[in-house]
Amino acid sequence: MYPIWEVPHLTAGLVLALIATIHILPSHLSTSAMWLNVYLERKSLKENRPELMAFVKRFSKMILIFAYVFGSMTGVGIWFAATTAAPRGISGLIHNYVWGWATEWVFFLIEVGGIYVYYYTIDKVDPKTHLKLGWIFALASWTTMVIIVGILTFMLTPGHWAATGNFFDGFFNQTYWPQLLMRTTAMFAIAGAYAVAVAAGFGDLKARREIVRTASTWAIAGLALSSLAFLWYRAVLPDAALANLAALATPGLRAVMVWAPALAVAYFAVMAAKPSWARLVPALLAIGLIFSGIFSFERVRELIRKPFVIPGYMYSNQIIAGDLPAKGVQSELPEIDREGILHYAPFVPPDLRDVTDANRLRAGRMVALIECAACHTFQETGLRPLPPRIRKLGATGPGDVAEVLDALGAIPYMPQFAGTDAEKQALAAYLFSISK
Amino acid sequence: MDTAAMLKMLQDPMGVPFFPQVFDALMVLTFALHILCVNLTLGALAVAVWGRLRPGTGWDRLSPALARTATASVSAAIVLGVAPLLFVQVIYDPFWYAANLLSADWVIGFVLVMIAAFWSAYLFYLGGKENRGPLAYGFLSLGLFVVAGVIMHALSVQLLHPEKWLGWYQSVGGAETSGSALHAFEPARFLHFMIPALTVIGIYMMFYAWYLEPRADADRAHLDWTAKAGAGLAFWSALAQGAVGAWWLLTLPKDFHFYRSPFLMGGAGLGIVMIALLAHIRFGAKRPQAFAWPAALMMLVTVLGMATTREALRQVYVGVFGYTIHGHRLTLDWASTVLFSGTFVMGVSVIAYQMSVAFLCGRKAGKWEAGPRLQAWGRISIGLLIAWIAVVAGLGVVLTLRQHGL
Repeated sequence: MYPIWEVPHLTAGLVLALIATIHILPSHLSTSAMWLNVYLERKSLKENRPELMAFVKRFSKMILIFAYVFGSMTGVGIWFAATTAAPRGISGLIHNYVWGWATEWVFFLIEVGGIYVYYYTIDKVDPKTHLKLGWIFALASWTTMVIIVGILTFMLTPGHWAATGNFFDGFFNQTYWPQLLMRTTAMFAIAGAYAVAVAAGFGDLKARREIVRTASTWAIAGLALSSLAFLWYRAVLPDAALANLAALATPGLRAVMVWAPALAVAYFAVMAAKPSWARLVPALLAIGLIFSGIFSFERVRELIRKPFVIPGYMYSNQIIAGDLPAKGVQSELPEIDREGILHYAPFVPPDLRDVTDANRLRAGRMVALIECAACHTFQETGLRPLPPRIRKLGATGPGDVAEVLDALGAIPYMPQFAGTDAEKQALAAYLFSISK
Repeated sequence: MDTAAMLKMLQDPMGVPFFPQVFDALMVLTFALHILCVNLTLGALAVAVWGRLRPGTGWDRLSPALARTATASVSAAIVLGVAPLLFVQVIYDPFWYAANLLSADWVIGFVLVMIAAFWSAYLFYLGGKENRGPLAYGFLSLGLFVVAGVIMHALSVQLLHPEKWLGWYQSVGGAETSGSALHAFEPARFLHFMIPALTVIGIYMMFYAWYLEPRADADRAHLDWTAKAGAGLAFWSALAQGAVGAWWLLTLPKDFHFYRSPFLMGGAGLGIVMIALLAHIRFGAKRPQAFAWPAALMMLVTVLGMATTREALRQVYVGVFGYTIHGHRLTLDWASTVLFSGTFVMGVSVIAYQMSVAFLCGRKAGKWEAGPRLQAWGRISIGLLIAWIAVVAGLGVVLTLRQHGL
């Protein structure tokens, strides 16, 4: 249990979500765009169409600068943000999946080296060699997705890992294949969307029409197939996740997940039929639509694994709540209940280790920081703010709040309170105090 | 709870999936490559900016090429930095997470600073005509990269002082949860990471001259000048680095007895050999570019040695509290270890192919055509990537069918 980083109105978790969301735009571009490039480059070679190579060069420059300035740094940013939001959670993942990430890193090396070599050798090496460089990039970048999907899906459905502790038992879990298919097909839609945006300002009219039509077809096919894959994904979700989906996914998130791809398909259908209508701003809006759909999906994906950060093992507040015999780990809950969270957690100021009449509210705030701040803000506004929620319960005193704390374990998406009775009373007193 | 008990409690209970020495070695190796690229970026930007301040000189002429180098090397630095970032969390998890959380604003700020610095580097490189963007972006980029360096430096030093963490976390009446302060800064150590930027770019300039010389369109006089200027820059900065290194050693806690440590003394020895080699090139060589390879290899050895020294020093710091990298539970996972090892070997081959194409292509003016061997290597590289996917997907299908059915 590490120091807490309190981000007023947001929570550290939302900072992580924001960075991860921004990362989606460039990262999905980097995995997808080269597939369109190699398609066009082959066509250019076969049909002797140099104007298509001119587009490939323009598109590659966009990949190079956009995907590898924002993509690589926001990718690293996710690691840093996860460190500040859920250090024990990311540590747990890393201590299981370090070789998975290290394997992905090898493909990152191929990818990053690859885009520079690919872009800077356009028109400078023989076409066959250049096409090979494109294929290498395309394959390596997609493989990064093959790997990271295993870790992402593990965080919701760890498969037989809980029993065996084995890497691959958690990696190839029940939601792995549907999610890989969904992301793979979506990435073709993303490549198409970016290509329409880049082609909108492309000089050669004939090539522009052809590229817009091809890219739009890719986008429509990608969106349609990823929607089907989503249905498969939903069908294999565990019951607890489906219950969370029903309880936590807001109407707004659901609507965006449905309407964003639908509207994007309509846009690309128009582009496929009338490619000369392609303009930059609507194309960027279409990227925004796809982005909002993915964002909603990612938010829902995070919500439905509550109250855990690693299912059955670690709560969102990073208390180890389940035994893991395969790794020799035991739940921390009995010891925390016995000793008290303020004694168990190392980062507690000494004068707050024991609850007294003099420090009750401060000790209660300390408990709240450790057990609640991962998901809730303590201000009136922001992400799942506690003061209005406490008022909504109709609590007339700390005793009422303590009763709610007792019942937390019965709410499927909430972690149970962990600590001594004195700490619970202190937490209740603090929560009541901020709700007044 | 004393510091040793706190560190024990913070260690991840799931243990490590392979021998910690392997993670340690990989961390040192990848950190060395990462810091080389960091230094190359800083040095390239500094010289590119300096060149633009001296119009009409060789420095000015070199500026666009070095600005371009900076954009590529920062990409390399970022991707190479991912590996030590990963491995440090495996074997030094309590230190990494605590140090970061105590300055969390800066940790997130680091990401934003790096994006701004990287973007500015591109604007400096591509913003104007003939790859000469506004100079202000060059200054901005350089300044922001230095700020990023300050943040990383502070976090690295905070990591070494677990005895101070709780004090940094306390505020009047409660916990200091803002993460808004950087708590540690050691000037000698910081400079020891920054000054090599000039040595690295100096050697890079020698290499640049060696590399471009065979091209039919090469301006040999300019390349001769570049190599000589690079040799001078490398030597004088290495000398300064030696002085800063001595200063750093003297600032270490006295009870560490640095003069008894084979690692620290070995690192210092490597530094002296490096300075001697650069002095020979600077004062004894007519064509410094002829020494580009020995200088580059010696630099690589020195940086690897320094990275090892830095790790040895870290082990001394954390050892004071009884912490060793062997303290985690070892739960061997051979399957994932084989996955990484195989991928790594394959990856080295594929990357070597990419780099060979880039190297040979850039050394020839006009269009370059790959020979049959290189064409075959390219086909093999693609085949390896497809085979990797087939093997892993096959394994996945078998495991999925076995565990979850159809």
